[in-house]
Amino acid sequence: MLKPIFWEQVMKKILFVGTAITVFILFFIIFYILKNGLAVVDMEFLLSSPKDFGRAGGIFPCIVGTIVLSLVAIIIATPLGVGTSIYLSEYTRESKLTSIIRFGTDCLAGIPSIIFGLFGFVLFVVYLGLGWSILSGGLTIAFMILPTIIRTSEEAIKSVPDYYREVSLSLGGTKWQTIVKVVLPSALPGIVTGIILGVARSIEETAIVIFTAGSVLRIPTSLFDSCRTMSVHFYILAREGISMENAYGTATILIITILLINAFAYWLMHRLMAKYS
Amino acid sequence: MEYKIELVNLSVYYGDFHALRNINMQIGAKTITALIGPSGCGKSTMLRTINRINELIDGTRIEGKILIDQKDIYHPKTDILQLRKKAGMVFQRPNCFPLSVYDNITYGPRVHGIKKKAELDEIVEKSLRATWLWDELKEKMKKSALSLSLEYQQRLCIARVLALGSEIILLDEPCSALDPITTLRIEELLVELKKDYTIIIVTHNMQQAARVSNYSGYMLMGELVEVNETSKIFTSPQDKRTEDYITGRFG
Ligand SMILES: Nc1ncnc2c1ncn2[C@@H]1O[C@H](COP(=O)(O)OP(=O)(O)O)[C@@H](O)[C@H]1O
Ligand SMILES: [Mg+2]
Repeated sequence: MLKPIFWEQVMKKILFVGTAITVFILFFIIFYILKNGLAVVDMEFLLSSPKDFGRAGGIFPCIVGTIVLSLVAIIIATPLGVGTSIYLSEYTRESKLTSIIRFGTDCLAGIPSIIFGLFGFVLFVVYLGLGWSILSGGLTIAFMILPTIIRTSEEAIKSVPDYYREVSLSLGGTKWQTIVKVVLPSALPGIVTGIILGVARSIEETAIVIFTAGSVLRIPTSLFDSCRTMSVHFYILAREGISMENAYGTATILIITILLINAFAYWLMHRLMAKYS
Repeated sequence: MEYKIELVNLSVYYGDFHALRNINMQIGAKTITALIGPSGCGKSTMLRTINRINELIDGTRIEGKILIDQKDIYHPKTDILQLRKKAGMVFQRPNCFPLSVYDNITYGPRVHGIKKKAELDEIVEKSLRATWLWDELKEKMKKSALSLSLEYQQRLCIARVLALGSEIILLDEPCSALDPITTLRIEELLVELKKDYTIIIVTHNMQQAARVSNYSGYMLMGELVEVNETSKIFTSPQDKRTEDYITGRFG
């Protein structure tokens, strides 16, 4: 029989090794991409258009495409998602219907993005005739990130203490005033986290973009133009063997963008939390 | 005599549970009435029914009437928002919003449509002076209310009700989170406020009822056993149950 204290030691070591592997892989990926990518990244790479399908030149149109597409997605998804979560948590009682809606959003969250892509292609690109466009892509990505925004906002709204609502109403505030002036400000850090997670997911998204926004390598000038995002550019450069250096360069910018967004989210959350609690 | 508040055959139910039983009570303007009685006897329910905040709880139902200034506040045509403004509530725990001092006080006036900065400033000064907070807080308007001491927070909650332009202040054990010395200061404040306001205070503290109130009501298991001038309640209660409670509590 082995002593419990022995198992204690063994378990601790196993957990440590697990953690170390996780951290190592994370850093290895980042290091590997940066090592291969940083060499081609400079101002020129960021601000010029690609030449020869991306073999030379920069990725400026892809940066623009990424920003615009994410922006459209988030502008559509935020009011819908936050609105739904307000409705679910403030205007409905727990019932069969609300649990069905919740179950539905959870299922939606688990659907692979390529299926969303196909759905968006059939509905927006073909049926509604929007073609491969920023609008088609933005709408489809909005549907993909909607569950995330709904769930995080709902959790945030639920965690607002009930007595805030009670005081506001007892002072003669209406329900809507109570939601706007008391509930939402207190829930803001959580809601913002959800939105930023949504932004990060739309920046990373590849499958949906290929299906619905296309991959035209030009700076888009309207919502009905096709565009190419950094993720898609990376995929095409690597997959078709056009230029591994520029693929790594694109990946580098992508990773830096995501890191910056996370850092910004972190900073914003702390600021908001300091302000409202 | 015309009463400020009248409860007429008032019963309140939580589902099947009969929480207030056929209460009759008249309260004159500019008096302090204390409600005393063991925990669970229905004191909070009574205050919350007067502010009509209680009906937010599922399954509550009332019978009978509550008149404020001779008007039935449960009449279907009653403007609930105006009623809540007229009869403001202060709760047991200080419950300032996680906002600045200024925003806490102006919350009420703002939801009732006052927007002008000058007007709001004036209201803030008036209600802070009335609650003896002005000198302390006039430089700290932007500070978070939650950073104040509990006593100040509770006084701020009272100021928040005054800022509404309430005529009636309903206080539900407002001192239970405070220490004895700060409790005395709040009591002094209430006595001062009585000059302009009609006050009902729920308390489990006999001495407090004796110190601040003109009238006291003793409640037991949803019934209002006895209500009378405070001095009479404490020296010569008419009902055996009141006497038992008071001697038990004082003795
Ligand atoms: N939301 C509620 N649902 C059901 N019963 C309640 C509710 N609130 C209070 N009660 C019951 O009503 C009675 C009176 O409660 P309350 O007015 O809070 O008493 P007090 O303030 O005198 O302690 C208690 O027996 C309590 O259990
Ligand atoms: Mg109570």
